[in-house]
Amino acid sequence: MNILSLLASATEGAAEHAAEHAPAAAHAAEAAGHAAEHDSPAAILMHHILDHPVKIWFTNIEIPSKHLMFIIVAALAVSIIVQLAKRRYKAGGVPSGAASIVETFVLYVRDEIAEKNIGHDGRKFTPLLCSFFFFILFAALIGLMPFTATPTSNINVTLALAAVSFVAQQYAGISKYGVGGHFHNLIPPGLPAWLLPIMIPVEILGMFTKPFALMVRLFANMLAGHIVITCLLMLIPLVAKVSAALGIVSIFIAIPLALFIMFLEVLVAFIQAYVFTLLSAIFIGMYAHPSH
Amino acid sequence: MDPATAIAPYTAAVAYGSAGLAAGLTIIGAAAGIGRLAAAAMEGIARQPNAAGDIRGAMLLAAALIEGATLFSLVVSVLLVLLK
Repeated sequence: MNILSLLASATEGAAEHAAEHAPAAAHAAEAAGHAAEHDSPAAILMHHILDHPVKIWFTNIEIPSKHLMFIIVAALAVSIIVQLAKRRYKAGGVPSGAASIVETFVLYVRDEIAEKNIGHDGRKFTPLLCSFFFFILFAALIGLMPFTATPTSNINVTLALAAVSFVAQQYAGISKYGVGGHFHNLIPPGLPAWLLPIMIPVEILGMFTKPFALMVRLFANMLAGHIVITCLLMLIPLVAKVSAALGIVSIFIAIPLALFIMFLEVLVAFIQAYVFTLLSAIFIGMYAHPSH
Repeated sequence: MDPATAIAPYTAAVAYGSAGLAAGLTIIGAAAGIGRLAAAAMEGIARQPNAAGDIRGAMLLAAALIEGATLFSLVVSVLLVLLK
């Protein structure tokens, strides 16, 4: 959508935009400045990756946040598909279609991620890890469709996910050893006493850097793909501003490259969902089974 | 002269330049790290095809950790551009 507007400005010139504001002569310079700022590649890139209000088509309903809307869409999509799969599963027989895909992922999360890294408590954390996995996967895949946004490319959303993961990590330790035991476990056994003033702050810092790393990793991964795709597609109007013929040539370079990054993004959606789930499981396992 | 006032007229240029430099340097490090990791994993799988699944899992985890460190630096360069 934004790329189209840049294309339009490349072909028709920004004059039209400024002309709208022309009657107020005093504001003409300001309007031109605003138009230039609004149409600059950086502004378009920012518009593409930042959160902004959206209007639903053909209605007057305005949703204050696009990312919020797509969190709800992703959550609904996960719930509906998983409920459908569950119904299919309960009906008996061999699960097919969506049910077999969901079953494969759930079994993978339970056996390969939860039980391998958390051990026998793994089953207790499987629902949480499955929620992480499916939500991150659906959010990323929905964000690849046109006119949508990836909610996980907003750092506030990944902060919330990481906070849930943090609570789960602390819960794993505290529920098993009690508050005192949990904090006692942070200190490696056999540590000389004079190291304690260094190790205690480091361990408490480590407690918070784990979810922080989860937050930044997911955020930056989801953001980076969108930035790269937008930059590649913006090459076309930018080159076309210099020369129309070169612009046509750049179409054949930019679109296959953007398509390749799109394919990569599908892969990244699965890998990041896996990595977030796996690291959450490893950190939970770390607190549930401290070294002793 | 105070360095902050000396570069004041060129803040945006310095920010863009250093963001680009940071991104490029980051890629060198990340490519070297992930390349070495992938080479070692391939070698491991070639020697021990039975362990391919375990090696792949460990490789993905290590790749994610390398990538995480890389992305921290890329976030810094994005911030340089945004807050120029």
